[in-house]
Amino acid sequence: MKREALKTIVGRQSLPSRVLDRIDLVRFADSNHVLGQMAHHCEGDGSTAMADIFKNAKLRAEHDHTMLTFEMNRVERAFSDRILPIVVLKGGAYVASGGPAGRGRRVSDLDILVMPDDLAEVEQQLLKFGWVPDEQTDNDYDQQYYRQHMHELPPMRHKTRGTVIDVHHALLPKTARHKIAVEKMFETATPVQGGNLNIFQPIDQFIHSAVHAFADGALDTPARTLIEQYFLYCDLTREEKTALAARAREVGASMPVALALWFVGSVFGVQDAMQHSKTLRNRRRYLLLKMAVVNKLVGGRSSVLGKAYLYVRSHYLRMPIYLLVPHLLRKAVRWRPGQKTPQEFPFPQ
Amino acid sequence: MHQTVNSLHAADISPALRKGTFTLTLGPFAHLVKGPSHHLLPHLASMYGDCEASLEPSNVTEIMLRLRAPNVFRRFIRQQISPDPGFEVPAVPLPISMVPLAFEMGLNLSVALKTCRFVTIHAGVVEKGGSAIIMSAASGGGKSTLSAALHGQGYNLFSDEFALMDLETAEVRSYPRPISLKQNSIPIVRELLGPDRISEVISDTPKGDIAYARVSNASLTSTQSSAPVKLILFPNFQVGAQAVARRLNPAEAVMRLVAASTNYSLLGEPAYRTMVSLVKGAQTYEITYGTTEESVRLVGELFGGASP
Repeated sequence: MKREALKTIVGRQSLPSRVLDRIDLVRFADSNHVLGQMAHHCEGDGSTAMADIFKNAKLRAEHDHTMLTFEMNRVERAFSDRILPIVVLKGGAYVASGGPAGRGRRVSDLDILVMPDDLAEVEQQLLKFGWVPDEQTDNDYDQQYYRQHMHELPPMRHKTRGTVIDVHHALLPKTARHKIAVEKMFETATPVQGGNLNIFQPIDQFIHSAVHAFADGALDTPARTLIEQYFLYCDLTREEKTALAARAREVGASMPVALALWFVGSVFGVQDAMQHSKTLRNRRRYLLLKMAVVNKLVGGRSSVLGKAYLYVRSHYLRMPIYLLVPHLLRKAVRWRPGQKTPQEFPFPQ
Repeated sequence: MHQTVNSLHAADISPALRKGTFTLTLGPFAHLVKGPSHHLLPHLASMYGDCEASLEPSNVTEIMLRLRAPNVFRRFIRQQISPDPGFEVPAVPLPISMVPLAFEMGLNLSVALKTCRFVTIHAGVVEKGGSAIIMSAASGGGKSTLSAALHGQGYNLFSDEFALMDLETAEVRSYPRPISLKQNSIPIVRELLGPDRISEVISDTPKGDIAYARVSNASLTSTQSSAPVKLILFPNFQVGAQAVARRLNPAEAVMRLVAASTNYSLLGEPAYRTMVSLVKGAQTYEITYGTTEESVRLVGELFGGASP
């Protein structure tokens, strides 16, 4: 069961005693991109072999953090002469806040949230400072689709640094079944030290992570997501934990937050998370969803079922059927099998 | 006394390779290997015979390589093999007869992209009397031939592929994997090291004809696991050229080493510091030559003359 693996990675449990189990654990952590987090939070076994692996993973994550911190600095520069509230989301926020969820985390793209009314100005400003529409989505259909139905601009890529920025104006697509009162979360956002960027207050960071995982998307990285929510939750003060349920109701995120709390409670054995989840839970118990998440996390052949369920559910949540069918048809027609061209080593020169 | 590939029984190694518990220890790394024993074992026996090995890993390993069929059909029909170092790699599937190539490529990818506790530079490294020479050249620039030639002249081979620089001490680590030879260098090195040190030639690979040369026992069992670098060379083989050495200034040398590093940009500042102290402690030359004998003589002169 992967529950043991997750508990070990976050440091709630010591390493398995059998060497082959340890190797499987390292492989699991590496392939799920959480080895850097394990390196920071798991004590290890005192051996140089484990220490070497952890050192590699820490250095790699450090590179990501340097890159993303620089990227945030460039965004700050682009908006240094305007008064425009910008909230950094997800990985960028965890890195900026310096909390346990960021430590050792792999990060790549920068996600920011702006007021819907500021969207056009933000896009103009980013274009002026060297970001261009990302090639992959720079076609009429995608551009129009994003702008009409999504909660973000089509991804932009910096033309010299190659880094990607996603500019959001909401937490869920316009067409989504759930509506999140993001303006309320905007109000309580706090500035990142020494700059003009903001991050959500800790409690809202947890809520956003829950919304992202359980009200949108197909939970593509289950291990990573659950670990993220565990750290976000554990970093809350007792008062914040108690206030979580009311806040979730206030912004319209009861369902995803109840689920996230349930996973933090049941996977990592955090007692109070389980209790807070119960205060939020409504009539439905989401048994099938819970099974599907566990199924996808464990992997193996039967995980096809869990993956299929989560895929269908994510589309059901994201848009109504009359939009979904033409969209998926279009994607299917454009789809081409990936071509493998013989490549040399990724060596320089 | 630990076991070696040759002191273990082939009948025991085969199931360990299939299960993926076979462990090869060389230089600073332990390698956990899984692969088709029928094709892999002969390569291991001939090229890694005296390396430390065990049937079960004694601890976690930094490098975990699996050689497997790219899909289920290729396990049975016109069998193919791909290296899987545990992360996405742009490797093409190879016919099963090219398992040694897939194995060596897989290890190279792992070292180049995963082991960032070292600054890795794509270069050949030899050592003598406690000081090392780094030779960095583009693919096909004669780096392997020169490494093999110096190795044949009594230098210890540290590596034919990577200079593994310790981030703290800027010393280079010994990692004596077999020397990989391409096309024209095969007959030359066969002459230099003797035919019994050279593997069978694998023809028509994506890189042309390739073969491997076994590292000497002395290098494999040498207790010298790392050494300060005395000489940094950028070899340049040109048919008919006179042997000349041109001194490079430190900045130029650092820039060239950065371009040859597989993880410099990932490591950033610590890698820069390592490179700078590496270049400060060594003499750096670009050398041009037309024959192997000349190159060996020239390197010998520079090595003798260079003060650490």
